Amino acid sequence: MLLAVLLPFIIAIFIPFLSKWKHKLHTGFFVTAVPVVIFIYFARFIGPGFEPVEREYSWIPSLDMNFLFYLDGLSLLFILLISGIGSLVAFYSIYYLHKSEQLGHFYVYFLLFMGSMLGIVLSDNVYVLYTFWEFTSLSSFLLIGFWNHREGSRYGALKSMLITVFGGLSLLGGLVFMSGITGTASIQEMMSQQELILNHDFFPLILTLILLGAFTKSAQFPFHIWLPDAMEAPTPVSAYLHSATMVKAGIFLVARFLPMLSVSEWFFIIVSAVGIATLCWGSYMAVRQTDLKGILAFSTISQLGMIMAMLGFGTKAAIFAAVFHILNHATFKGSLFMIAGIVDHETGSRDIRKLGGLMTFLPITATLAVIASFSMAGVPFPFLNGFYSKEMFFDAAVTMDLSVTGIAATLQTLFPYLAVLGSIFTFVYSMYFFFGTFRGKANIDELPKKPHEAPVGMLVSPAILVLGVIIIGLFPDLINKPFIEHAASAAYGSENVKDIYYWHGLSPAFIMSITVLVFGTILYLSIPKWASIYNAVPGRLSLNTFYDGLVERTERYSTIITNSYMNGSLGRYVRLILVAIVVVTFGTMALTGGFTLDFGNLSEVTLHEVLIAVVMVIAAIGTIIAKNRIAAILILGVVGYGLAMLFVLYRAPDLALTQLIVETVTVALFLLVFYHLPNLEPHNESSLTKTMNLIISVGFGLLMTMVAISAHSHKMFDSMSSYFVDNSYKLGGGDNIVNVILVDFRGLDTLFEIAVLGIAAMAIFALIRLRGKNKEE
Amino acid sequence: MSNLLALTIIWPLLAAIITAFFNNKKKTVRVMSQVFTLINLALVSVVLFMISTNGTIILETGSYEAPFGIVLVGDMLAITLVLTTNIVAAACVFYAPKSLTEQQESFFFYSFFFMLISGVSGAFLTGDLFNLFVFFEVLLMASYGLIVLGNGKAQLRESLKYVLINLFSSMLFVTTIAFLYSVVGSVNMAQVSQRVQEVEQQGILTTIAMLFFFVFATKAAVFPLYYWLPRPYIVPNPVVSALFGALLTKVGIYSILRVFTLIFVGETDLTHTIFIYLAAFTMIFGVIGALSTNNIKLIVAYNIIPAVGFMMMGIGIFSETALSGTIYYLINDMVIKAALFLLVGIIAYVAGTSDLRKMNGLIHHYPVLGWFFFIATLVLAGIPPFSGFVGKLLLIQGGLAQEEIMVVIASLVSSLLILFSMIRIFIRGFWGEKQDAPPHPERSGAARRMTWPIAVLLSITVLLGVGAEWFYPSVEEMGEYLMNPQIYIDSVIKE
Amino acid sequence: MEIIMAVLAGTLFTTGVYNLLQKQLLRIVIGTALISHGAHLFILTMGELKRGAPPILTDGIDQYTDPLPQALILTSIVISFGVTSLLLVLAYRASKINGTDNMEQLRGNDYE
Repeated sequence: MLLAVLLPFIIAIFIPFLSKWKHKLHTGFFVTAVPVVIFIYFARFIGPGFEPVEREYSWIPSLDMNFLFYLDGLSLLFILLISGIGSLVAFYSIYYLHKSEQLGHFYVYFLLFMGSMLGIVLSDNVYVLYTFWEFTSLSSFLLIGFWNHREGSRYGALKSMLITVFGGLSLLGGLVFMSGITGTASIQEMMSQQELILNHDFFPLILTLILLGAFTKSAQFPFHIWLPDAMEAPTPVSAYLHSATMVKAGIFLVARFLPMLSVSEWFFIIVSAVGIATLCWGSYMAVRQTDLKGILAFSTISQLGMIMAMLGFGTKAAIFAAVFHILNHATFKGSLFMIAGIVDHETGSRDIRKLGGLMTFLPITATLAVIASFSMAGVPFPFLNGFYSKEMFFDAAVTMDLSVTGIAATLQTLFPYLAVLGSIFTFVYSMYFFFGTFRGKANIDELPKKPHEAPVGMLVSPAILVLGVIIIGLFPDLINKPFIEHAASAAYGSENVKDIYYWHGLSPAFIMSITVLVFGTILYLSIPKWASIYNAVPGRLSLNTFYDGLVERTERYSTIITNSYMNGSLGRYVRLILVAIVVVTFGTMALTGGFTLDFGNLSEVTLHEVLIAVVMVIAAIGTIIAKNRIAAILILGVVGYGLAMLFVLYRAPDLALTQLIVETVTVALFLLVFYHLPNLEPHNESSLTKTMNLIISVGFGLLMTMVAISAHSHKMFDSMSSYFVDNSYKLGGGDNIVNVILVDFRGLDTLFEIAVLGIAAMAIFALIRLRGKNKEE
Repeated sequence: MSNLLALTIIWPLLAAIITAFFNNKKKTVRVMSQVFTLINLALVSVVLFMISTNGTIILETGSYEAPFGIVLVGDMLAITLVLTTNIVAAACVFYAPKSLTEQQESFFFYSFFFMLISGVSGAFLTGDLFNLFVFFEVLLMASYGLIVLGNGKAQLRESLKYVLINLFSSMLFVTTIAFLYSVVGSVNMAQVSQRVQEVEQQGILTTIAMLFFFVFATKAAVFPLYYWLPRPYIVPNPVVSALFGALLTKVGIYSILRVFTLIFVGETDLTHTIFIYLAAFTMIFGVIGALSTNNIKLIVAYNIIPAVGFMMMGIGIFSETALSGTIYYLINDMVIKAALFLLVGIIAYVAGTSDLRKMNGLIHHYPVLGWFFFIATLVLAGIPPFSGFVGKLLLIQGGLAQEEIMVVIASLVSSLLILFSMIRIFIRGFWGEKQDAPPHPERSGAARRMTWPIAVLLSITVLLGVGAEWFYPSVEEMGEYLMNPQIYIDSVIKE
Repeated sequence: MEIIMAVLAGTLFTTGVYNLLQKQLLRIVIGTALISHGAHLFILTMGELKRGAPPILTDGIDQYTDPLPQALILTSIVISFGVTSLLLVLAYRASKINGTDNMEQLRGNDYE
């Protein structure tokens, strides 16, 4: 099973090496074989007696990150979709993409995606699931950006990446949280300890994080905005990722956690409300689109919303319908995308305003289109699978009887009406798609290419899918017992079996279907009369504007914020740093009661020391007020020599000597350097700046003094120095203890101190001698 | 055999001296430096192997017993970081010849380079606070030498700020060591730790701890002390930027990690809580900086800061898992930052500009460069299965276990923004219309030769991620080890 | 006396920082020099003042001033000297090549 998941990745590695032969044989042929093999491998699991299979392969056991695969009905349904539609799409792409395109890249991304998607639906380990999750986002990013010379492609790729990775990261947060609470990374084991999670204080946060992941991936309102822009990808990609599989990963995730999460009332409220909102908004917006793929994108959004809503209902019937619809949607939407691709390929345009009357030119395509779009509309014919699941949806909405109160109860009463409303628009856009493209007046002259029927190869894949639509419609039991039932039971958490019938009698659901049919027809015929409503809703206030504004503002405000403090002014930086140090350290001192003053352990105060100190203070202040550079440097020298004298008084002869020499050389250097630079200018900064500088410097000086005094008052241990005194002669062979410490006890310090001087010398040499051409000027 | 540990510091010092004498023989000095670096890499690997089999090596320099002499403490954490340093160094030394001008090479680039390695390794290994100061000065002085190399206008201007800030923080560093010495009467880290714990870190000690934090945080570029960082990092040659980005801030972080797990662990409610907040701010403000500019080098330089935030997060959370996360992240970040700086160096070189707005469609001419950059972006953003993810995952696990929700959310948000800031370069610079010819066709040969050291670094990050099972158990041990300072104390001070 | 010395060292830090916050390079560099003086004085003070003879072994004396801080200061003085020299040359070169010794004019916002 591991091999099955990794197969696409392994093949992907070899794809670049195939490019040599790509002029002889389209790379797509090799690639098509991969999903076919996977499909066959997993198809053998289908059957009424199916039992979940578990396999474990270690990867990083110490992080609890293992390939723990759990194949139940739900994963099986998804795997067959991924590999089945994958095979058809790969085959279709052979005819869609010309050999001159960068096929190597395309198929590498394609295979990466397929492998990751299989990984998502099979992984029971949350970290591995997340890994594959992000990989689908990335491969989707690369596929949307496949024609990256187009501005729209780059825009769409970034948008999809930002939104889906945002969701991915929240998902990660939620998953880590849950695994932390339950102490396991396995979803099955988490669910067996669901009380721990459900009763946790942070359960609302966990729920939000998980749902954000699912909603962004499955393009739920208001995160759906990336999907229409993702249509910049080549059409096979749209059919595969952005309709049949990847966008259903969110659905899968919700279904996976459903048995646990649906216990919470908030799950019902959020998921079903978001789902219904997405259904209505998506179908409403689809009618407004003029690009064929745009219509299909919004239609996908609305269908995903419908599935999400059903999962949100959480009832037995609703979940069964949801699972059934996942399959049905993949069949009719996959074929519609391929049909849109054919139209685009054969006419050179996807603009529905230019298209029309293509039935005579592309009769086979039109036939396929009529079946698929009528199935999507839920027209009550027994050979359209869309009708079955749509009616189950109505049924679930009407018969839903949760014992809830408050908002949840209100929502429960509203849902049937909203479901009908959304479905009416679904009907409208389905008709709009089909009739707008294939019927009406043909204006061939306006099209970039003269239309003619697509090559057989291109028609095979949509034809197979449409055949699927019909077969499922006519013989639902063919797929029900062997695997829909298993999938529904897995999502529901216990057995969920149902017989699928065409005719239920004059049930409320059927009446709703008829209502949709009637009002849908009326609305479709009168589109021109009410289309102006789109100017009011959404008008200019669209979510896209919001997204664009957000991205643009993120960059703009980042620039403003950053430039407001990162202005290159050293003074500013030092000020900010000092304020932080002073405030936090004083705060710490206050909180921990750090300041102590102990007069007990002090040496006597003598006059000459005080005098030197006073002179040094005056000199130090003198450096600030000095108006002349020579004066300032000499006054600095006074401080240095004063320090040397203190060293003498405090019994540090070596220090005094060193200090004297160093100070003399430094003053000389100062004079040498600043003799060539401009003289000092008077302090002309504003009094505010002066006060601020004063406060900061006094604050910092005070801080250091106070810490010093406390540290001195706090001597808690004897110094290690007695060792040096005792052993200076014995071990170091010298009388001058300081020298022995330097060259012997702490010789390593001295070695590297000399190294520092050496590097300084080299750096100075380089500074003076290297007069390279200044490249950036 | 324990003297081998000192050789990991002394060998680069010798190499620096030797190469200084050959500064005018470019070919010789290049080959020599490459050989020396590889020898050092091999040497460190041997020492690492010794330590991993026989346990921590304590080297008492001059054979003066701890705590009186200076000790070098070769524990797994220190030696692993030394090894990573040397890996980065090796990549840089092979990248350098094509990237540097002849003048830069002849003005002691390689000597500064080796001194930097020596200083960084010393800082990782030393067990003595004052000695840590000395090694800080060694690496800073080497970095001063490197940053001014070239003497450009902007370069000198930014170097000046860099030197001034570091000079200030160095002075604060020695003063703080003196304060601590006054209280506990020692500069040996093990003894200091022992004594601080003995008196339960009372009185002024926590205040001194905060001063230490600020000293290291200035080097590590933690909020609100990172202002000095981004610009000086982009003015020198890319290979210098890579060394800085990979090593310098990490020494600061390492010091915080060491000092606040070994010595100052008595008031974690106060100190480590401050760290958590600062970590969150560091992540957010850092990445905001990265989004603020169109200069690709500056974008990468700003991205150093959120990474520092991630590592601080682990120190602040202060649990085994979180500290393991910090260590993993640290190792990963050293490698990936080097790779990124080297990459943007090549990108700017072949594009002839570092302004993103002037680039377009580079991937059509430099596919390998483009895909390397893409992978590096994923590593940086912490996308699994690359190495950035492992550290991030541990940090999030640690954070959630202690219910530090705020910092976890900050880390997730900043991950997204890091990805955004970097992918912009990919989308705007690499994608786009195919030009008939690359902007500077004559540069593609050199670019290709500069790419392969990056390939090595990137494979390491992939290995660290996909093969985490080979590395994580020992990192986990390091986290455990840091949580038990007594092990360190006992290994240094034998009674 | 230790308290007076701590205040003196604190004053050196204060004046040093005040100079560091100025615009002109000379003042800034003077500021760093004052700060190093302050730091060294702090180290010395922390080792207790005048508690014995200079740390040179002499017969008959067993009370010496703490030698370790002195050793540390010596190392630090030498290092500071190296850094200050470099800083001076760097300051010279930077202000010559940029044509100003005013740090506020050396902001350099030309990267955006």
